[in-house]
Amino acid sequence: MRAFTFSSAPLDPERHRTELADPGSGGYASFEGWVRDHNEGRRVERLEYEAFEALAIKEGERIVADAVARFGVSRAACVHRVGSLDVGDLAVWVGVSSAHRGEAFAACRYIIDEVKHRVPIWKKEHYTDGDSGWVNCERCAAAAHDHDHDRAHAHVPEADHARPAAGSGRAFQHDYSRQIALPEVGATGQAKLAAASALVVGAGGLGVPVLQYLAAAGVGRIGILDGDHVEASNLHRQPLYGAADVGRAKAEAAAERLTTLNRDVVLDAMATHATRENVDALVAGYDLVVECTDNFRAKFLVNDAVVRAGKPAVFASVHQYEGQLQVYRPEPGWPCLRCLWPSAPRDGLVGNCAEAGVLGPVPATLGAMQAMQALQLILGLRADSSPALVLVDLLTLETRRVAARRDPDCSHGLDAPAAAPAATPVELEFVTLTAAVEAGLELVDIREAWERGFDPPQSSIPLHLPLSDLVNGRVQFPAQGRYLVICAHGVRSLSLTEHLRSLGQSEVYSLRGGLAALRR
Amino acid sequence: MIDVHVQYFAVLRERAGLSQETVATAAATAADLYEELATRHPFNLPRSMLRVAVNDEFADWSRRLGAGDRIVFIPPVAGG
Repeated sequence: MRAFTFSSAPLDPERHRTELADPGSGGYASFEGWVRDHNEGRRVERLEYEAFEALAIKEGERIVADAVARFGVSRAACVHRVGSLDVGDLAVWVGVSSAHRGEAFAACRYIIDEVKHRVPIWKKEHYTDGDSGWVNCERCAAAAHDHDHDRAHAHVPEADHARPAAGSGRAFQHDYSRQIALPEVGATGQAKLAAASALVVGAGGLGVPVLQYLAAAGVGRIGILDGDHVEASNLHRQPLYGAADVGRAKAEAAAERLTTLNRDVVLDAMATHATRENVDALVAGYDLVVECTDNFRAKFLVNDAVVRAGKPAVFASVHQYEGQLQVYRPEPGWPCLRCLWPSAPRDGLVGNCAEAGVLGPVPATLGAMQAMQALQLILGLRADSSPALVLVDLLTLETRRVAARRDPDCSHGLDAPAAAPAATPVELEFVTLTAAVEAGLELVDIREAWERGFDPPQSSIPLHLPLSDLVNGRVQFPAQGRYLVICAHGVRSLSLTEHLRSLGQSEVYSLRGGLAALRR
Repeated sequence: MIDVHVQYFAVLRERAGLSQETVATAAATAADLYEELATRHPFNLPRSMLRVAVNDEFADWSRRLGAGDRIVFIPPVAGG
């Protein structure tokens, strides 16, 4: 079926559903939009949809193609009604088939949100009192956004939006007055924010405040890239999520919360990790990148991509009570992450939050600083500032700014090998550890001893070689045999596995996603 | 011998058990100073993984030390 179509006849979801059938798909998610009997406090009897079809179909097809590429689903389609509809009629249908349910839900959500926002469709409501009126598509209130159809129909006057209406359907306009009041921001700055886009890589301790403040400030489009799921142990430092979100994809849970914060903002929820294969395409889609992950692999991956793309980025990391922050600008003299850390450290050597422990306000402070730097870059404030690594100690409240220079010998990651599949995969996926053993692999748990204590069911892996002991040479990784290296989230195990491979050991693999992936 | 002011960050602070100290040293360079301090504190990171800042600027390990210099040893940090 066509990816995006209009229909003047009633929609038949059953027929559309069968057209998405695909032998490689393990599931299907759909969304149906219905005509409801009220809007902004007025009783609606029926309505009419009109579309500028030539333009709308093109935009709709782009959205569906985007969703298929972005979430890696099998098939997706959207059908929208035009013409006269009664209360209860099906107005729009979205369907997605996919190997896994998470991607199906995410792609479905993405398509309906983007269609509502971008496709030029408008409706005329007929009220029970005999009156009628054209109602623009959902995001009209976001005046700063471009609407291709602005010229094609009359918008509801602004006063209508502001009118407090009875009932729950009242349109709420985000109030930017307190930031517009800053002389350096003003209406021009607000328009810059609305026109800007930012990719936030990692929606954890750092990413949560970054996302909240960028969305609240009205940054027009925000990409949320995180392949992890919300865990109970995240909540103390990631209070954007609630207990009910545990187990959900972070990107989706974050997008949902942020939508309620500011409906002006377009949120691209991408429940995946940055990889060598996808990072360039992702970075290309945004004006700047805020790097909020908890591992060196991702940080250097993002660094190399922003250098290649010539985009600014804001990096931060925390360790226990301290944090580091670095802004990268694609300008002469500005150092990249590799200029400061020429021997890219391996994960597991210096600890992330899971391994080293952290108090919530530490990443929150650094994340808020990152958000500030991102807004500063967009608004062009203090464009004369000089490059530095900023060290923050949250216990002593000391901040140290260490002036940094571009390293003339640094490759800036430009010599990084292009994406090429490894001869044998480094990471393997298993549903259970038993399945791995049955595949002839010996299991090696490289978590620290205290971590195993928190996770009794998994403590039964007999071979325990804590990474800290391996790094310090207190124990040796066995040279002979086929091994599956296991840690909590698959980051340290991947780092160690790649290291062992580089030493010539070919029969060693990393458990993708670590033990956390097995629990899902 | 000169007196220098030394500050430790992240894992180095943990290993040293303190965040700063004033050290009387005969070390000529930043590298010599780190090797000297590594004999007193159980540092577990090789110098090649660290950066050193002298008087609030990144410096080479061969940087010669002067009396009263403020030296910061900075390990990379990855938590988020």
